[in-house]
Amino acid sequence: MRRDAAGSDELDTAYVDGVAELSLDERRGVEARLAREPDARAEHAAVRTLLGRLRALPPEGREPDWTAMERSIRDAVGDAVPRPWWRRWTWLAPIATLATAAAILFVVWPRPALRVTPHPTVAQPTAPAAPEDSVGAVALWLDGAQVDVEPDAAAALIALDPADDEPDEVALLPASDLAWVDNLDDDAIARAERWLARKKKG
Amino acid sequence: MVSLAAGLPLLDRPARVTIADPDLELAERFRAGERAAFDAIVRRHQKGMWRLVRRYVKRDADAADVTQLAFVRAFRGLATFRGTASVRSWLYRIAINCALSWLRDHRREQPSELAEDALTDDNPAPAQLSAGDDRAWLRKAIEQLPPKQKLVLELRVFDDLSFKEVAELAECSENTAKVNFHYAVKRLRDILGADHAP
Repeated sequence: MRRDAAGSDELDTAYVDGVAELSLDERRGVEARLAREPDARAEHAAVRTLLGRLRALPPEGREPDWTAMERSIRDAVGDAVPRPWWRRWTWLAPIATLATAAAILFVVWPRPALRVTPHPTVAQPTAPAAPEDSVGAVALWLDGAQVDVEPDAAAALIALDPADDEPDEVALLPASDLAWVDNLDDDAIARAERWLARKKKG
Repeated sequence: MVSLAAGLPLLDRPARVTIADPDLELAERFRAGERAAFDAIVRRHQKGMWRLVRRYVKRDADAADVTQLAFVRAFRGLATFRGTASVRSWLYRIAINCALSWLRDHRREQPSELAEDALTDDNPAPAQLSAGDDRAWLRKAIEQLPPKQKLVLELRVFDDLSFKEVAELAECSENTAKVNFHYAVKRLRDILGADHAP
């Protein structure tokens, strides 16, 4: 309520000093108030009187010679009409120089090799767990067919070196006594020849 | 009427062109390269600018210098004037800035126009004052207003600016300008003592 009253007071003062600057609604509001409140009319008259006294005050100081002031301003500013910076040519030279330098730098500057950004990894579905009965079974290829064997048995089979049937060096007979050569059968000779061939390769 | 800005590049156009305002038309002509348009602006506003400056700067010659300086700055800046405010309030803003700047630089040189005891309790009541005393009394009362209220009141009463222009200069809204004006008048009446008014 007080705010409304204060607002209407401000409008009253503005009405006294510039009715044309109020909106139609504001003007009607003030005029309605003036019509029903004699105090408001008295206030208006007092404000109008005060503003009249203020406006009647002569300007401070003694006014200068306006023609002389105009001439001195003309002399001070010169004849050339200043242009805004974007319409002057002077800024073009440094800008062009900078642009050229930047272009040269862009061409000459060593750049790191192009790096291919890795594709984001997609989570792969995990393999289904092996069936319970196959746990511990090892698949072996025996005589042209896959055979599942127990791990222990598989380890024993793998431990069997197919070259075990070949003679160890320590098992060789001494070269000074060669009578045993006559006692060798064909299998033994064949094994010996295979061993020698492997030795040469190795 | 055809807008004078129609043939200018987009960047050069003011935000608002109201041909009804002759100042804007002069500003456009100046920006288009017509030097004489600025002389016309000077002729239209030098008196108002000087009066405004003179309220800050208390010596006539200094006020003339500051006014000239304000016009020189306006001449340099008019090419970039965007037209968001009226030319007059733009010029007055430059003048106020120049005056305040000058006051900062010459703080100690300012004369006091009124005697220190001009409004003491020993002085006669306003009703008994002569016309000259009444003017001094009114001026002294204005000096006692808070700065914002004083600025708004002076711009409105002495410079005949619209509330919109006052708001542009006082850097506030139009409503705030009206509120400040109301309180300035109210306070002035309190200071002067409505009952003793001649």
